[in-house]
Amino acid sequence: MKTVVLVSGARHPVSRRPALTRLEAQAASLAAKLGGTVRGLHAGPSDDQLREALGHGLGEADWLEIEDRVDPVPALIDHLKAAAPDIVIAGRRGEGTGDTGLVPYALAEALDMPIIADVVGVSPGAGSGTVSIEQALKKGARRRLVVQLPVLVTIHPLAPPPSPFAFAAARRGTIRHERIEATGLPTAKPSPFVERPYRARPKMMRQAGAGQAGEKAVLVGPTPEEAAERILAFLEDNGIRRYSA
Amino acid sequence: MSRPRIDPRAARASHLVSTAGALRPRLDLGRTGPVSPTGRPRRDPRREMAVSRVSSDGRPRFDRSHQGSFEGLAPSNKTVVSPAPAAPKLRIVAEPAFLVFAIMEAPGGRLTRFDRQLLGAAHRLVGSSGEGAVAAIAFSPIADLGTAGADRSLIVEADGASASGRARLLRGLVESFAPRHVLFAEEGESADLARRLSVSMGEPILTDVEHLGPRQAIRATKGRMAEEVGEPPRLMTLGEDRAAPYGGETCGARTLAFSEEAAPIESDDAILSDEFIPGDPARLTLSETDFVVSAGNGVTDFDHFRKLAAALKGTPGASRVVCDAGLMPREAQVGASGTVLAGDCYLALGIAGAPQHLQGIAACEHVIAVNTDLHAAMIERAGLSIIQDAQLVMPALLKLLEERGS
Ligand SMILES: Cc1cc2nc3c(=O)[nH]c(=O)nc-3n(C[C@H](O)[C@H](O)[C@H](O)COP(=O)(O)OP(=O)(O)OC[C@H]3O[C@@H](n4cnc5c(N)ncnc54)[C@H](O)[C@@H]3O)c2cc1C
Repeated sequence: MKTVVLVSGARHPVSRRPALTRLEAQAASLAAKLGGTVRGLHAGPSDDQLREALGHGLGEADWLEIEDRVDPVPALIDHLKAAAPDIVIAGRRGEGTGDTGLVPYALAEALDMPIIADVVGVSPGAGSGTVSIEQALKKGARRRLVVQLPVLVTIHPLAPPPSPFAFAAARRGTIRHERIEATGLPTAKPSPFVERPYRARPKMMRQAGAGQAGEKAVLVGPTPEEAAERILAFLEDNGIRRYSA
Repeated sequence: MSRPRIDPRAARASHLVSTAGALRPRLDLGRTGPVSPTGRPRRDPRREMAVSRVSSDGRPRFDRSHQGSFEGLAPSNKTVVSPAPAAPKLRIVAEPAFLVFAIMEAPGGRLTRFDRQLLGAAHRLVGSSGEGAVAAIAFSPIADLGTAGADRSLIVEADGASASGRARLLRGLVESFAPRHVLFAEEGESADLARRLSVSMGEPILTDVEHLGPRQAIRATKGRMAEEVGEPPRLMTLGEDRAAPYGGETCGARTLAFSEEAAPIESDDAILSDEFIPGDPARLTLSETDFVVSAGNGVTDFDHFRKLAAALKGTPGASRVVCDAGLMPREAQVGASGTVLAGDCYLALGIAGAPQHLQGIAACEHVIAVNTDLHAAMIERAGLSIIQDAQLVMPALLKLLEERGS
């Protein structure tokens, strides 16, 4: 099984230096546990993030050097078409770059691969050419999917924590460098949006009992049985749980 | 002490009705005059007379015993017909000039807080002019869409469809209805769906929008060092707690008609099997679960408490006092120095409701308190309060659950 881990050009939220995001470290560890050949892939002006990913369990990596302003998606598509991996693993959002989380979807569309979002576990499937994927849903629910390869998955923060960074592994790993001339590639589309320095906007306050019908019931000294009835009725009426057999 | 004098000219000027165009100054003496410089309202003898007037027809009759308060008494006639209880106003948009789609998640057919915020944001985009309409799109039936602010509702029963199937279906809907905006929640399946739609339609999308108005949408980028500002594009995902829920008059929530051919539900060939595993509340962390059963200093019977949490299918939590005493693990602590809950419901057994504890449950929609003290802060916060000993309520609850056979 051939796995490619996508590494973004993320920056550390405080120091602004190139850094691997936690999600991508989780992706690297997950891929390393999965076995087979695992390679990292990064398109961007520097390979610092890729070096860090090697320390989290990737043996080898490809670095497509492109200029800062160039859209990395076409370069990634070309590379992935040639490499034809079985599984592509990415983080669900970038950090410190565009932060839209659109790159995996653009790749999946161009490569005609199914994409599974918010994945917390990947293991080889029972049949050949399949993989079993665990997806995180809301309220702690999970969905287990068996998917035909090839597939692209994005990692959810609840995936197993990344294996610790090993300096020796980062030194030992090899990075294959390829310089891609920007002339052949389309530059990123001009954005219809204006960019300006960030201004923090507070979130809306969560109000106590918002969305509730409003009436408050206070029962003073009910019998325990009556109290129990009322509590269960409250839970069922508000759709929290069902307790009938 | 000298009383401040009343300035008759100022008093007269305050009764002056607009004089523009009129030859003679016109006065309205019925208008409440100025408050005297001492701060005491001035007596208005005409109003007092009018208030004490009993019959309005024929001979005037007065009842002077009704002079209790004349201040602020607006009706001059005592036989006021109390207004008939007005029927709740309904916002009806008969022929919308444009639509704004809001994609609902509504697990279990109930709108979440985020869904309501999405509808509120959609109303901001529509504006109050009454031209556009907000359409709620959902993949399973939902109750209460009208009060939450949906002018139109479109329920496509596609609960079993895969994410790519839903994206294709939504694309069909967007192409056939051509909404001006499509709003998604930046969370879970909606966030996934939004990106699929954006890529498959080749439309730009503004993700995780932090501020949304009719003319401007703003999102953070570059790790919150910069922000992108522009006209709201067609596709947007909204961050949680970034818009107020809709609070206006009830909307019509009429069904939008659509043809099945425009939006076929297809399955995904690549997905061979799909198994849903519900979360086990006993093993979930407090930040993930939706229902917490929590014990405070008023609980002494922890055997029953643990059994009760399991039987209620809730995640056990505790106040700090209990965790400090080692009766519950530290991970179970709810509050400022413990975990801030994201869940909908909180059952507090014997918890006083210290501010540090209440911070942890600020987001909970439904709170039930069992406490012996009627004046505890937790009772104030709770939607259902039981003033009773927790040691008695817990076994009763367990017994009742057993009877129900769950
Ligand atoms: C810096 C700081 C941080 C803190 N952070 C947290 C935090 O994160 N989380 C937290 O919980 N606390 C926190 N605290 C502690 C907090 O201030 C309170 O001391 C604590 O929450 C009180 O817990 P309690 O309500 O369980 O206990 P008590 O205050 O002792 O309240 C017990 C309640 O149980 C009722 N009761 C008694 N007997 C019964 C009975 N038989 N049946 C039913 N009810 C009964 C009583 O009427 C009373 O209301 C913090 C304090 C500080 C200073």
